[in-house]
Amino acid sequence: MMNAIEVKGVSKHYGKVQALQDVSFSVGKGEVFGLIGPDGAGKTTLFRTLCTLLLPDKGTALVDGFDTVRQMKEIRQRVGYMPGRFSLYQDLTVEENLKFFATLFGTTVEAGYDSIKAIYSQIERFKDRKAGALSGGMKQKLALSCALVHQPSVLFLDEPTTGVDPVSRKELWKMLLMLREQGITIMASTPYLDEVRRCERVAFLDQGQIRGIDTPEVILEQFKDIFNPPGIEATVTQNKEQENVIEVEHLVKAFGDFHAVDDISFSVKRGEIFGFLGANGAGKTTAMHMLTGLNQPTSGTGRVVGYDIRTEYEQIKRHIGYMSQRFSLYEDLTVAENIWLFAGIYGMKDAEIKVKTDRLLEQLKFTEHKDDLVASLPLGWKQKLAFSVSIFHEPGVVFLDEPTGGVDPATRRQFWELIYEAAGRGITVFVTTHYMDEAEYCDRISIMVDGKISAMGTPNELKQRFGQPDMDHVFTYLARQATRSSD
Amino acid sequence: MTLKYLIRKEFLQIRRNAFLPRLIFGFPIVIMCVMPWVMNMEVKNVVVDVVDNDRSVASQQLVHNIEASQYFIFNGQKPTYQYALTEIEKGQADVVLVIPPNYSHDLVEGRKPQLLIAANAVNGTKGSIGSAYLSQIVTAQVMPQASAIQSQVSTLLLYNKHQNYKLFMIPALLAIVMMLMTGFLPTLNIVGEKEAGTIEQINVTPVSKWSFILAKLIPYWLIALFIITASLLLAWAIYGLTSAGPIWLIYLLSMLLALFFSSLGLIISNYSDSMQQAIFVMWFFVVCIMLLSGLFTPTRSMPDWAYLTTYVNPMHYFIDAIRTVFIRGGHFAAISHQVFALLGIGLFMAFWAVQSYKKNH
Repeated sequence: MMNAIEVKGVSKHYGKVQALQDVSFSVGKGEVFGLIGPDGAGKTTLFRTLCTLLLPDKGTALVDGFDTVRQMKEIRQRVGYMPGRFSLYQDLTVEENLKFFATLFGTTVEAGYDSIKAIYSQIERFKDRKAGALSGGMKQKLALSCALVHQPSVLFLDEPTTGVDPVSRKELWKMLLMLREQGITIMASTPYLDEVRRCERVAFLDQGQIRGIDTPEVILEQFKDIFNPPGIEATVTQNKEQENVIEVEHLVKAFGDFHAVDDISFSVKRGEIFGFLGANGAGKTTAMHMLTGLNQPTSGTGRVVGYDIRTEYEQIKRHIGYMSQRFSLYEDLTVAENIWLFAGIYGMKDAEIKVKTDRLLEQLKFTEHKDDLVASLPLGWKQKLAFSVSIFHEPGVVFLDEPTGGVDPATRRQFWELIYEAAGRGITVFVTTHYMDEAEYCDRISIMVDGKISAMGTPNELKQRFGQPDMDHVFTYLARQATRSSD
Repeated sequence: MTLKYLIRKEFLQIRRNAFLPRLIFGFPIVIMCVMPWVMNMEVKNVVVDVVDNDRSVASQQLVHNIEASQYFIFNGQKPTYQYALTEIEKGQADVVLVIPPNYSHDLVEGRKPQLLIAANAVNGTKGSIGSAYLSQIVTAQVMPQASAIQSQVSTLLLYNKHQNYKLFMIPALLAIVMMLMTGFLPTLNIVGEKEAGTIEQINVTPVSKWSFILAKLIPYWLIALFIITASLLLAWAIYGLTSAGPIWLIYLLSMLLALFFSSLGLIISNYSDSMQQAIFVMWFFVVCIMLLSGLFTPTRSMPDWAYLTTYVNPMHYFIDAIRTVFIRGGHFAAISHQVFALLGIGLFMAFWAVQSYKKNH
């Protein structure tokens, strides 16, 4: 039987950077094939090559029996490609997006309806809503519908679940397995281990080369240093001071009738690592914006590092650090210039900045990259650097909004070591994440559902209370009770 | 103090940009070396067809006069008026002069011969001015006494004696420089930060509104000052044109115009979420402001309702004032009215700009 994907000796370089080097593998028809590897390993380059968007320097690639160089047209009729982000038009409605993609492939929504029915029916009632107003999980469903509307035989998914909550991720994979039953070949990359395990075979790509292809169990065992780093022993946190750094009571943020944050109350102690979990659209980012002084609460009170979030937000900004899920550093400045800028904004003196910068770069082993543009760094480095910059002025609290989205397990572990170190210095860490293994690292967790906090406690307490084996199950158990899927 | 760090950041980013530094140096050169030659409303090279039905010495004389004029290109004699008209239709000629059969005879008899001038007025200025020049030449021959009367009237052209169009256009070009450098660039810069998401990071820091806004404006103001200085130097080096009035007034006026355009840009960037929207809205206002300002056309010939808008059009005050200073050598007293108007409009817009920038919603 002919293979769905047949790659032989493909190489690709950009300038001096060798993105792919002599990559060969094949994927059988109807297989679910995983592609894993650290950032900058060449995964996206490989996807783009197979989708005929890039020409390989050397080697050949066949998709569904057609050559990616000479038979572009045939391949484009037969593949669906879902890039990690931004594959939808945010200001078109759900239905308009779908129609547009259908038209692109010379078909209609009606003709392709059967192949997308199972997925599209879940979001069809929001068909008049703009894609930009959908939650992360629903965007993924729509993007998948758009990629499937022309009934492709091969589906390429480049990190489809980055920034998506665990429940939505599970739903997406359920759909993918359903598609496999229809005979569609699926090739997907993902940084999540539970998703890796759902693949039949996975290829581990590192520095442009394939290090191994096998079943997920074998690969994860073989490269366990990277994918399954030993957990961090939570440092003994008995002597936490009892002083509250964040105190929130009955906080509400309403946009018209819609209560994005609906009466939440909690407090966080100094030096604590507080995990703020919730599904996409549960209200986490809105709550965080109120705590950091970007948004005014509709009602309720809150104090951060001793200042009122309603009136003294400019004081709060002096004493907090913030790292958003979008890149918070200036890409066109160098590493040292970014540090210098943010330190200067917080009123540090030049001499002090210089000493601290050298020490920080040494600690991060970044000294030789001091004058590199941030744009040229791999994602994981950028995130480590962004975190270090956000605590450079020794704030009382640091707010991290999905700091590790799209990063491989080994880099995430290094990131958490930095978090532990900051917490050890007495900096309170307030973090949101979609990785449930990271949730286990937190001292205390709250889980938001539909704008309310539905559970709060240490990871162990929560597991016991809900009788679940791990945080992933706790989260799924709680988030499934959500009624508000509209946002 | 944080201002220092923010401004340095802006300059670093401008320098890193592949295109901006070249633009900053290329801009004054293009504006000063190319535009004054192009933005010229003198009518020259009008193509004339002559249909000479007389073929006398007198009519030959007239044709020679036309040939000798620097404003006309003589396109030869045509057999008939119809033939000449088809040439106009094809765009090969602009004006036709028809000399009647008894031209020289009538001239000698002392009767006034009737000549016909037909001009293609699709390009109105060229048509009307071209035919006016032509009738001057004709009048001079047909009625020497009439042109003698004309020479009795002495027209004194004040300030710009040679009606040098370059002298007239250079101040207007300075206005365009200010508009682009202090209006467009900061706006696009801020919306760019919005799109990249870095503005959120700045909004959670203790940077004050004022520092943020000033850090965005000061670099472009300095660049605009540099370009103006370079342009003035080039105007002097290439055309020998210098300001008749005090140079500090030119800088003062430019800075006041910069205040207005920067504020306009900030307001637009505060209400725009995408580059596309910001550019389009900015263009809309800029085109309206320019066309209603008297930069290219005299404002007095606008209809009344349009003329009323010039009272709130800062470009109108700027153009008026800078031409007064640059060409006439006016001092502060001569332009105080415009300076205060510019200042008023600028402060109003600046207040609005700062109000509409919100770090906290």
